[in-house]
Amino acid sequence: MPQVCVPPPYQGPTRGLAEIEVRGKTVRECIDAVGSRFPGFRDQIFDPEGKVHGFVQLFVNGDEIGRSALDTPVDAGDRIEILAAIAGG
Amino acid sequence: MGGPTDDRMIRVDMTKQVVTVEPFPDEWKLLGGRALSAHILLGECDPTCDPLGPDNLLVMAPGVLAGTSAPTSGRISIGGKSPLTGGIKEANAGGEPGQDLMKLGYRVILVKGRPADPDRRYALEVNSEGARVVGADDYKGYWNYALCEALAKKYSDTTSFISIGPAGEMQLTGASVACSDEKLRPARHAARGGLGAVMGSKGLKYVAIDNEKRPVRQPARKKEFNTLCKAYSKDYLGGPKWPVFKNGTAAVVPVANMLQTFPYKNRVEGQSPDAKTLDGARIIESFEERGGGMHNCMTGCIVRCSNIVHDAEGNYKTSALEFETLTLLGSNCGIASWEDVADLDRLCDELGLDTIETGAAIAIYMDSGAMEFGDAEGAKRILKEIAEGTELGVAIGNGAVAIGKKTKHHRVPAVKGQAIPAWDPRPLKATGVTYCTSPMGADHTAGLIVNPGLPEDQWVQASQEAQMVNAVCDSSGFCQFLQPNLDEIRQFYGHLYGEEVTREQIGDQAWQCLADEWEFNRRAGFTEKDDSMPDCMKQDAIGPAKVVWDVSPDLVRQAYERLEAREELFTMKATG
Repeated sequence: MPQVCVPPPYQGPTRGLAEIEVRGKTVRECIDAVGSRFPGFRDQIFDPEGKVHGFVQLFVNGDEIGRSALDTPVDAGDRIEILAAIAGG
Repeated sequence: MGGPTDDRMIRVDMTKQVVTVEPFPDEWKLLGGRALSAHILLGECDPTCDPLGPDNLLVMAPGVLAGTSAPTSGRISIGGKSPLTGGIKEANAGGEPGQDLMKLGYRVILVKGRPADPDRRYALEVNSEGARVVGADDYKGYWNYALCEALAKKYSDTTSFISIGPAGEMQLTGASVACSDEKLRPARHAARGGLGAVMGSKGLKYVAIDNEKRPVRQPARKKEFNTLCKAYSKDYLGGPKWPVFKNGTAAVVPVANMLQTFPYKNRVEGQSPDAKTLDGARIIESFEERGGGMHNCMTGCIVRCSNIVHDAEGNYKTSALEFETLTLLGSNCGIASWEDVADLDRLCDELGLDTIETGAAIAIYMDSGAMEFGDAEGAKRILKEIAEGTELGVAIGNGAVAIGKKTKHHRVPAVKGQAIPAWDPRPLKATGVTYCTSPMGADHTAGLIVNPGLPEDQWVQASQEAQMVNAVCDSSGFCQFLQPNLDEIRQFYGHLYGEEVTREQIGDQAWQCLADEWEFNRRAGFTEKDDSMPDCMKQDAIGPAKVVWDVSPDLVRQAYERLEAREELFTMKATG
């Protein structure tokens, strides 16, 4: 199954889980699958219109995909990484 | 062995206005910045002294790697006993002074004493020949920008400045120490803890450092050091880290708001309805029409997270407008416009004030009912009153606790006398453990952990590890936004001095820095009672989950017991 890697700032809804295996054929389906298990997670990735927040970056196996490329296909063993734009300051 | 040799240190006695230059002890060579400051303060400064008296020691210590070709490594630590917290304090800044001092081979400046006449002003001039104290009465009362403009005309174009504004001269406990950037703007501040007041108490208006176009410091293993620099820079700029910082810390506003750590109206809420108008994205959008943009605050910086903000007419207004400032002087005061916050930021830089402490103080004043939340013009008037020395201005300039006492207001979000920064301990419990146990008081740069889902049994470990990594980062000269880890820092150290620096050594250095600082505070009279969150953090619930600070004191104090070092300690990134 594909794996969704959740960065520390977004682990509130997942209660500290950092790597979650899900069933899904696209990036969107995988993120939705995490959102179904963990209420509140989806809102961290998508705005009310369903678009990926401007401060979120998505990677598949280390390669960044565009915020609108949610239909990018994924296979078993693929890693979807979410990068949160967090700096101090 | 090898690497930089013949390093020196400068001792300044402001009672007699005399300077001595001494060899820098070889056994201290891996101590710089915060760790060096802590070591010297514990050994030479009476922790029970009056922070604004002659016995306090003001430390100016660049990091170990400052002045070398290591990327983004020129930060300078300012240290001393804090008049704000009553404990040890280190605050660091970018800009040029750290690089320039180290290129000249000066590892630290130590300033003690106090002039007999408190109305006199002095300056310290530093070059390769040594240093001397000169009169600076002509600059008394100067605001920081006017001061640096005047000094730019007085000194050569290879000179950088460390200065204080009127707040420091008035010895207000929210006063900062400014460091000039590449354009000689006094925009980089060692802001927290009132060290500007310590500098002011010594009659020292500015330090001028002429680097005389000295080259970078030469490492012992030159080839390996340069290879490491190139590889590290390539990895940083090509990897996922840099995009996070390329728009500056102001870009964090929407994420922080989402995570309930963008405090609103003196922290009664964790989110602000004004997040969109305070979002750093608005600043980025302004660049096209007004000019300004992102820049590096010091020579050799690859992060370039500092924004230059212009006004509507295209004229320079301020730099850098950071996330913490947008939060404390913006959202936390109910002020919705980033442009108003830019005005307030400029005023704080001019007067030489910590924007976090000042924003928290103004919010408390507003919360007390003395002023409406959102009154940006009123906030600007108050800042101008600080320079005029009015009773209200002085109370605001003395920070959150001072204005809380003056207004008798109950909601004063501070730990160890220092205002809590934007990152909120209620959703971020491990960060709260840092605020309670850090020798610095509430300081996100002491060990920030942005993980609201971290299980309770990991809070102490996360805080302790972050405090250790950040202590070493703040001793190295590296900027926390470069996000170096301990393994990387010890590699740089090893190539600089031509000898292996082990994990055990770097871990011990981290712990020793904290231990020195805790010991200083213990001798200053700090007890377990000082490790607590204020009642408002325990009572004012925020967010849909209604989170409060509910961590037991017993758990918090576990952070004082050194845990066995995990592999992760050496590979986790500094973050602040």
